[in-house]
Amino acid sequence: MGLFPVSLHGGGESVEISHADAALGSFLCSISKSTLELALTSRLAPFRAFVFPYVCDVSRNVEGIFSRVLPGAETYMLHLPQNFHSAATVPFLTAEYRRLIARLEKAGGEPYDPERLAASIELFNQQRAAIADLTATKRNEPGKLTLTESYLVRRLGGLLPREIHIPLLHRVRSELAQRPNRTKDAIRTLLVGPFCEQPTLDLIDLMEQVGCYIVDDELLQIHRWYDRVDPGGDPLTNLASAYVQSPVDIGVRAAPTTKGEAILRRVGAAEAQGVIFLTAKFCEPALEDVVLYRKALEREKIPYLHLEFEERSTSYESARLQLETFVESILFD
Amino acid sequence: MEPTEGTEPKFLATARDEQRRMVDEYYTNLATAGGPKKPVAYMFVGGNLTEIVRSFGYEVVFPEIVGLNCAIKHVSLPNILHAESQGYGLDVCGYVKNDLGLQELGGQTPFGRVPPPDLLVCSFSGCYIYVKWWEALAEKFGCPLVVLDVPYMRAKEPQAEDLQYLVAQLNEFIALLEKRTGRSFDRAELRRVLENSRRAEQGWVDYLDSGRLRPSPIEAYFEAVFYMFPINVLRGTEEAADFYATVNAEVAERVRTGRCPVPEEKFRLVVEGVPPYTNYRTFWDFFRRWGAVSVAATYPKVGGLFDRGFLHDPARPLESIAEYSLGAYVNQSWPLRRKLIEEYVRDFGADAVLIHGIKSCRSFTAGQGDLRDWLIHDLGIPTLYIESDHEDPRYFAPAQIKNRMDAFFESLDQRRGSTPLPMVRS
Repeated sequence: MGLFPVSLHGGGESVEISHADAALGSFLCSISKSTLELALTSRLAPFRAFVFPYVCDVSRNVEGIFSRVLPGAETYMLHLPQNFHSAATVPFLTAEYRRLIARLEKAGGEPYDPERLAASIELFNQQRAAIADLTATKRNEPGKLTLTESYLVRRLGGLLPREIHIPLLHRVRSELAQRPNRTKDAIRTLLVGPFCEQPTLDLIDLMEQVGCYIVDDELLQIHRWYDRVDPGGDPLTNLASAYVQSPVDIGVRAAPTTKGEAILRRVGAAEAQGVIFLTAKFCEPALEDVVLYRKALEREKIPYLHLEFEERSTSYESARLQLETFVESILFD
Repeated sequence: MEPTEGTEPKFLATARDEQRRMVDEYYTNLATAGGPKKPVAYMFVGGNLTEIVRSFGYEVVFPEIVGLNCAIKHVSLPNILHAESQGYGLDVCGYVKNDLGLQELGGQTPFGRVPPPDLLVCSFSGCYIYVKWWEALAEKFGCPLVVLDVPYMRAKEPQAEDLQYLVAQLNEFIALLEKRTGRSFDRAELRRVLENSRRAEQGWVDYLDSGRLRPSPIEAYFEAVFYMFPINVLRGTEEAADFYATVNAEVAERVRTGRCPVPEEKFRLVVEGVPPYTNYRTFWDFFRRWGAVSVAATYPKVGGLFDRGFLHDPARPLESIAEYSLGAYVNQSWPLRRKLIEEYVRDFGADAVLIHGIKSCRSFTAGQGDLRDWLIHDLGIPTLYIESDHEDPRYFAPAQIKNRMDAFFESLDQRRGSTPLPMVRS
């Protein structure tokens, strides 16, 4: 439809919040405020359309503010279903995609073409496969690349044209093959919680600096919802089916199993020795899951640490101290 | 104008007694439900399926209503603190913490014991945290969790895609209830129950509609909240339908005698947001001392927007329930919410809007600051935005809130004279 998709993960560390606080109220996450701040300060002018997936009530409501403050752009709140058992869910989501398409056609000026969508799906399949390969390397050979490196390469995937990002991922893969897996005495750790608002690079770096190998994480979930989507047949139905069948089990998706079972399965799959819960301040879905996760981990005597962060964190002394204590408690156990 | 000390709020005497009796009876029935007697389903208020679930013999618990009852009786904080001791952080919804804390403590409240659930029905209408809350209960009690996924309302009228999805889910839900209870679905019985629902809804609308009169014979926020119980909890019963006839007879008497909730109506307000239940009377007093009355409010519409033309239709039972589920107030997009509030201000002849944001509820609150900006700058309507919480008394700062409200009413007073108006329809 003539549009280039960009993943917007808030305004990050550099955006000063001066307008969005008043529009949103006091008790809301940083990502909602910094995203709105970008809109209120005309820094999103190049964008013609904004799609807000319904991952929480705040993301949903921010769409309604965007529709007022950016009247020249198309905005759409994409209702992602939470009933994963109904036979009607896939037809509904397919219809929901069609409603979205009608808005995107207006924004892009080009009609929907199923063949072009099928080609796009194939491209995204390649990107997801290459990213899955990267995260598998981090899980299996964690000394080969840092979490910061893995994160930055993935983050580029939401900003660059996929035609550029995919060869970049292939190049990273071949360079990693040449790189030695320098193992150190570090704790294999699962990172849970930052599925929406992203922590600062300093904080991402800190977790491995103090002696963790983050062997699996919830960062940048956008690249992991599906393993592979069938581009044949009706591509919209295929996308909807893939969404419903996705194995992703994070805080903003009604649990297919109990939360306790889910965290233990993930710890097992990652062969993790401990878990870091890194939740954004005011992120209620993540905060509520942590309680259920913790109970299961305590039952199985798996160590964990809970830290809260904000997009614009600048001081890490307390986090460093807690992380070091967490690592030492496992190393010297 | 100098503010006066608030007078004791005047409720509709007969209706209030009747309401109290129904509430007492409800909690008494709950206390004896469960086990071999009646199975218990937990449900949310917004877009609830009470008619269907009751038709299969379930007793229904609404933990949000238990939560507000705990808060208004000043017993929510111990439950919240207990939930926090279990790991639920400061930023988690007060309703969730009250309920999970209460459940851990055995479910006993001053108004009765809340039985554990046999079935969790998550009518996911307007609040994502509903899902998280029910997941926690499902893990605690090990009972089935059913999600009725209600699409977000982004157009004024229900869309065919959304209704098809909802009706399909309702049919699947009914099949599940048949399997669990061994009963067959009785469509004729559902139609009969929906007749009662419709009669209650019409009575509720008539009550709310009387806020258009000057002076208003009702308090459409503080008083209306008391009369929400039957429309949300007992809807479908004959007594709920009859209840609003009693309410409206008393409202008619108020109109006839001119005895209104605020003796000298000075300011007519539209109120947006959830009340601070922990300090309900104090907050109300901040209105009454200035002669301010709410003539329309959004909160009493959390169960459904009956006043905007929707009533259950017994001739189309499932389609009608699907439409109802879409209509919960917080399931409306911000453009629809803004439009509704604008219409309330116009249709009810309001002087100003008061927005009460709460820490707990992102669904209700996120964007209320933008609403204030729109009301003031785009529509020229005086608007005050204040924040506290509905469930957690630690977030209600009375001196600060009173100061802001006093300053707001004083500025409104300076804008115009203080002559009470004769009773006319806006």
